[in-house]
Amino acid sequence: MRSLYLWLSRLIALGVVVQVLVIAWSAFDIFNKANDGVPFTEDTDANAGQLVHSAVGMMVIPALALIFGIVSFFAKVPGGIGRAWITVGLVVLQIVLAFVSFDAPVVGMLHALNAFAIAGVAGVAGARASRAARSDTSVAAPVGSSDPGVTAGA
Amino acid sequence: MTALDDPAEQVPTSAGGDNHALSTAVDDAAGTPPAPAPGGAEAAGRRSWVRHLTRWGAIGLSLVLVGTLGYLWFDSRVPSTYSVIDMGYADYGGGAVPLAGHQHAGGVSVSTLTGPATGTPAVAVTLTARKESFTLASGERVDGYTLNHASPGPEIRARVGDLVQVDLVNESVPDGVALHWHGVRVPNAEDGVAGVTQDAVPVGGRHTYRFVAQDAGTYWYHSHQVSHEQVKGGLFGALVVDPSPADLVLPVHTYDGRRTVQGASGERRLPAPAGVPARLRLINTDNGPLRLSVTGAPYRVVAVDGHDLHGPTDISDRGVVIAAGGRVDLSVTPPAGGGAVRVDLGAGSSVVVGPAGASAPAAVTPAAVVDLLSYGTRGPVDLDLSHFDRDFTLSIGRSPGFLDGRPGLWWTMNGHLYPDVPMFMVRTGDIVKMTISNDSGEVHPMHLHGHVALVLSRNGVPSSGSPWWTDSLDVDDGESYVIAFKADNPGIWLDHCHNLPHATDGMIAHLAYEGYTTPYVIGGKADNAPE
Repeated sequence: MRSLYLWLSRLIALGVVVQVLVIAWSAFDIFNKANDGVPFTEDTDANAGQLVHSAVGMMVIPALALIFGIVSFFAKVPGGIGRAWITVGLVVLQIVLAFVSFDAPVVGMLHALNAFAIAGVAGVAGARASRAARSDTSVAAPVGSSDPGVTAGA
Repeated sequence: MTALDDPAEQVPTSAGGDNHALSTAVDDAAGTPPAPAPGGAEAAGRRSWVRHLTRWGAIGLSLVLVGTLGYLWFDSRVPSTYSVIDMGYADYGGGAVPLAGHQHAGGVSVSTLTGPATGTPAVAVTLTARKESFTLASGERVDGYTLNHASPGPEIRARVGDLVQVDLVNESVPDGVALHWHGVRVPNAEDGVAGVTQDAVPVGGRHTYRFVAQDAGTYWYHSHQVSHEQVKGGLFGALVVDPSPADLVLPVHTYDGRRTVQGASGERRLPAPAGVPARLRLINTDNGPLRLSVTGAPYRVVAVDGHDLHGPTDISDRGVVIAAGGRVDLSVTPPAGGGAVRVDLGAGSSVVVGPAGASAPAAVTPAAVVDLLSYGTRGPVDLDLSHFDRDFTLSIGRSPGFLDGRPGLWWTMNGHLYPDVPMFMVRTGDIVKMTISNDSGEVHPMHLHGHVALVLSRNGVPSSGSPWWTDSLDVDDGESYVIAFKADNPGIWLDHCHNLPHATDGMIAHLAYEGYTTPYVIGGKADNAPE
């Protein structure tokens, strides 16, 4: 369960990287076409970058984040539940920011900033999980130590 | 930070510890307690109990979360075949409710509501639909759809009272086709909506439309089967009733990112004598609003959606917006002293109207547009507005949810996602008031089939100009329109957003007359998909 947690955190961080790549592609594609005189209206088809960005952003990452949050309950990563659910919250915020940005493009800067926050929190969560796994295998946890167990708010 | 720094969680020791957390969770879920810590006194037991409770709480929470989302997903799925009269909920608008309730069983089939079965048509056209590559009048190749090897399809001209007969032949459109007469008050069976008023015409099939042209004006026809793709790809044409021979019919369409007028991109020169008013019949066949401007001479908006305006006045400093699916007739007069008039359609497309060789000034984008609510002067209205039999509300919003299993932020009608949308129920002869408000963040061109509605007010401000009759009304974000129409054309009619991808995403409601039913289904053997 912990390795699943680890891989989910990595996939989410990787997902953010993919999002940055494809949206840059999309933006340059639009600049390129606009230079050729292509109008951008309601009738313009989304380009490949936009399609990938919306599919990854609206479906893949939210699904991963939700599974991440659920898995965190059972992964026994110190502080792992908190980081996982912060990730979920940031992903929800990210979608809200995206739709606000369609009306107020300047908000898009927060959308970009929040993307780094998602990758950062997921990345730290993964690093902690990986460290916890290493310390488990190298040093056996003291038996009978005061173990308060997993608490939901942790 | 190490594991020890985090007092809330300690690395567990149970079930072999470390990397076997998965098996621990499974054991826990199965109710098997982990091995008790040695030296466990009462405190250890209590801790273990707390841990179990927390673990079960987490499992429960996860199940609730996944279960809720799963249920919402499952519940949102639309069956592959269904009848539009069974979907959504009936809205009687405060009017008469049939004793039998919302039941159409045994009603009159809309397939009987045809145009005249006998009589020699005054206008007879055969339209052959094909999926093929074609060349625009300006030379570009486009992969799309044609009627008689052309897009736009043939321009159909008729006089008021003419019996129009159109034989539609599908030669090679794999999804099937159906032709809808946009803005034309045809009998319901001739409305051309696949899955509601007919089955889509399959490859090799044929369907005949027959109707009498009742109202003069500028209209158009287009496919209403997989329309978001077929209309975009070129399956449409103009239909004009009672034009003068000199009128210029100007369908505007964007093919593969190229805006065109009369099927040609760039500047299109149309000869017209100086000093004589020319009538330009513009049709917005795209999905977004069309903003146009006129330079070179003052102009007038003489008709909207096929209906003449009363007392139009000269405009020189404002543009005009045509809603998606809407039409606007302009009167422009090339100056007597030479020169031409330019109507700029945006995106590099324009028409230049005037004597051969006359030059037109460059396009200027005016800051403001004509407000049809106050343009022109008041005139007679052929609609009794003293009382209303129905008072409907259609509020457009946007909400997160699942649409046919797809998560997203979707358009809503009266707070519901498709197919849980209202079915506006009327009786023949009802005078209907409808308030359409939009709080969704985007403009929606609302199109009611088979009827023409009068705009009464916008945002509480009553119409003060010419009577404004419309069938394709742009309701912008934050706006609220009150419209009225007479329910005088029985059947089952679409009332939908003419930004066709929005219709695909569920912005489709229906206006249904009590006592009528449709034998056609969405899906089914004909794979009907009107949007």
